[in-house]
Amino acid sequence: MSEWVRVCAADDIDDEDLIRFDHDDRTYAVYRTEKGYFATDGLCTHEDQHLEEGLVTGMVIECPLHGGRFDIPSGKALSAPVCLDLKTYAVRLEGDQLYIEL
Amino acid sequence: MTGFVATNAASSGVKIDKKQLKAIARRSDRPGIVYLVQWGLSLGATATLVWLALDTWWLWPAMFLHGVFLTVPSYSFSHETAHGTAFRTRWLNEVVFWLTSLLYMEEPLRRRYTHTNHHTYTWHTNKDSQMPFDTPMDFKGWLIEVSGLALLRFHASHLPKLACGRYSDVVRSVTPESELAKMTRNARIFLAVYGAIAGLIIADVTWPLWFLVLPRLLGGPVMMLFTLIQHVEMQEDSPSILESTRSFKTTWLGRFLYMNMNNHVEHHLYPQVPFYGLEALGEAVADQLPDPDPGVIRTNVEVLSVVIRRSLGMSTKAATIRQAPHMITEGGFERVAQRSVR
Repeated sequence: MSEWVRVCAADDIDDEDLIRFDHDDRTYAVYRTEKGYFATDGLCTHEDQHLEEGLVTGMVIECPLHGGRFDIPSGKALSAPVCLDLKTYAVRLEGDQLYIEL
Repeated sequence: MTGFVATNAASSGVKIDKKQLKAIARRSDRPGIVYLVQWGLSLGATATLVWLALDTWWLWPAMFLHGVFLTVPSYSFSHETAHGTAFRTRWLNEVVFWLTSLLYMEEPLRRRYTHTNHHTYTWHTNKDSQMPFDTPMDFKGWLIEVSGLALLRFHASHLPKLACGRYSDVVRSVTPESELAKMTRNARIFLAVYGAIAGLIIADVTWPLWFLVLPRLLGGPVMMLFTLIQHVEMQEDSPSILESTRSFKTTWLGRFLYMNMNNHVEHHLYPQVPFYGLEALGEAVADQLPDPDPGVIRTNVEVLSVVIRRSLGMSTKAATIRQAPHMITEGGFERVAQRSVR
């Protein structure tokens, strides 16, 4: 049974950036991109490094530790050293508040 | 990862404003392309010197100079592109990664995956797969390392093994299963290229010998003098990059050849920062870092002095370079780490 959980105010995330969001012992990454807001698991699938300090370039997030890259909307692993995709989550904007479906 | 915290800025207690870091780490193609052009022009100039010196005794110094410009940047560029930070455009990054790895003589995926491991476990015994020498280093270890013999032996052995589908424990521990077959394919391509070059030389086509093979061998020790001082005499098994890694001063030529990797502490703290952002990063976190050690030559002279004195059972206190406390003894030493590049 999924639920919509409030993350933050939309303006709390800078343009072309992300924030870390922790909920129920799990951690997520919520992105603001040129094509809207997205959410994925927070940890890189390569070595469990959190993506929160990663670099968002266009629609790609790059892990800060080893440079593994993921497509933000699909979570698809784009280049070594990452081979496994990130899980993605639906994001909804209600007024000026962001919600994530968990 | 089993709870291990990767060695980086967080594990070292170093902080920087995120917006400032993003600005410094922002990707661009321009600096990499400018570097590529400058490197190409440099190689053109040194290759011209080799050509002018053919059939004279000046050939050897000319090949040495050409070799320095061929070998050190091939290492530096291969390293930078292994991180994926040299260019914003990914395919450009990967093309240069392949070509420079071919010059450096290491299969690209092996280079990339062992290097990711080096950043996760920087200078950790039995974990870091890129510890290139035994620590503490003695004179014998220095000779083997700086001569390039150990690296040459590794280069000569790892490609046939990968080409035959034989993967060492180190390779298996750092590489996703799905990438192993690609390593084998790449190693076969590399061996075919090297075989073609050898075939040309055997067929009495000598230009690869004067412009490629001998310069690559002659430039090897200079490359080793740069890479040696990244971690030698520093602390093993520390979560702090400030203790395990050394930055050092160098001239504009040294920064060019080494693509600013003299800012090595900064690179390990924030590996997502491209080579052209390292000086700005260094300035931004300068108040949190130890001062860089003296220049490449001075630092290497001090290292050589220390390892000779260590082998002679004398005091190993260096005058100006940083050392981990256990590296400083009044005679005798216990081995801490063994070479993991194999």
